[in-house]
Amino acid sequence: MIEQVCLNELLLESAKEIFETMVFMDLAECTEPAENAEDCALLGTITFKGALEGCLAFCCSVPCARAIAMNMLGIDTSEEIAEEDVCDAIGEICNMVMGSVKKRLAESAGNLEVSIPSVVSGRQLKNNMGEGSHKTTVKINIEDEYVTELSLLYHENSN
Amino acid sequence: MSKSLLIVDDSATMRKIVMRTIRMSGLDFETTEEAGNGVEALEKLSAGPVDIMLCDVNMPEMSGTELVKEVRKLSDCENTKIIMVSTESSQELIDGVIADGANGFITKPFTPEKFQEKLSPFMN
Repeated sequence: MIEQVCLNELLLESAKEIFETMVFMDLAECTEPAENAEDCALLGTITFKGALEGCLAFCCSVPCARAIAMNMLGIDTSEEIAEEDVCDAIGEICNMVMGSVKKRLAESAGNLEVSIPSVVSGRQLKNNMGEGSHKTTVKINIEDEYVTELSLLYHENSN
Repeated sequence: MSKSLLIVDDSATMRKIVMRTIRMSGLDFETTEEAGNGVEALEKLSAGPVDIMLCDVNMPEMSGTELVKEVRKLSDCENTKIIMVSTESSQELIDGVIADGANGFITKPFTPEKFQEKLSPFMN
């Protein structure tokens, strides 16, 4: 059994690694109530299977997603960015954060097989994995401007 | 000596980020082409080999690991250096793809310095 507290830290550390290296934006855990949760309108997800099976999700507002994509691509704020590029960037965030999570879980969970990410308009990751599943969510403040959510929904696989 | 580069990744954003990071690393390529998956990459290579191919692992249509095996069957591409770029970092995967003919592996997240380190040996 993987401790939820450990997973919270692991998700946060993984996100920090990616945002510091590839996005060039400051990130910190958000301890305030999630009053901005309704702003979350883009949901990036990536699934994994192995000793643990489930889904990692990153949820943020459209303005936040645009800011992330522009930073990743080095685009000036006065320039335009295509919606496709914004979605693609959020998918890559999921992919890279999942890669970091996978690396950090390798010792306790072994090798996890990871899917290709997908991005949809949405607000909440619903748990439909049935009994025995767990959900860990970390609220993350980006650049003191955007509140986002990073979630890990999983169950331990007995196969 | 001027070199040619092919970036293979199903994410257009990641292809742009790779190009940006290469520019930041100070490496200079005469030509840079892009492909969205292994099948597209083979089509590009059928028109002529490139000096260096940067290749994602998880892609639809044809994965990076399959692509390495296919490229190594092409006599025109025997001198093409293949560097994998992926979030996947298990030693088993790295060893396997190197055994199949890749020349190096860069894990995401990456830095300009990492590209400089991995690509410089193939730039002269």
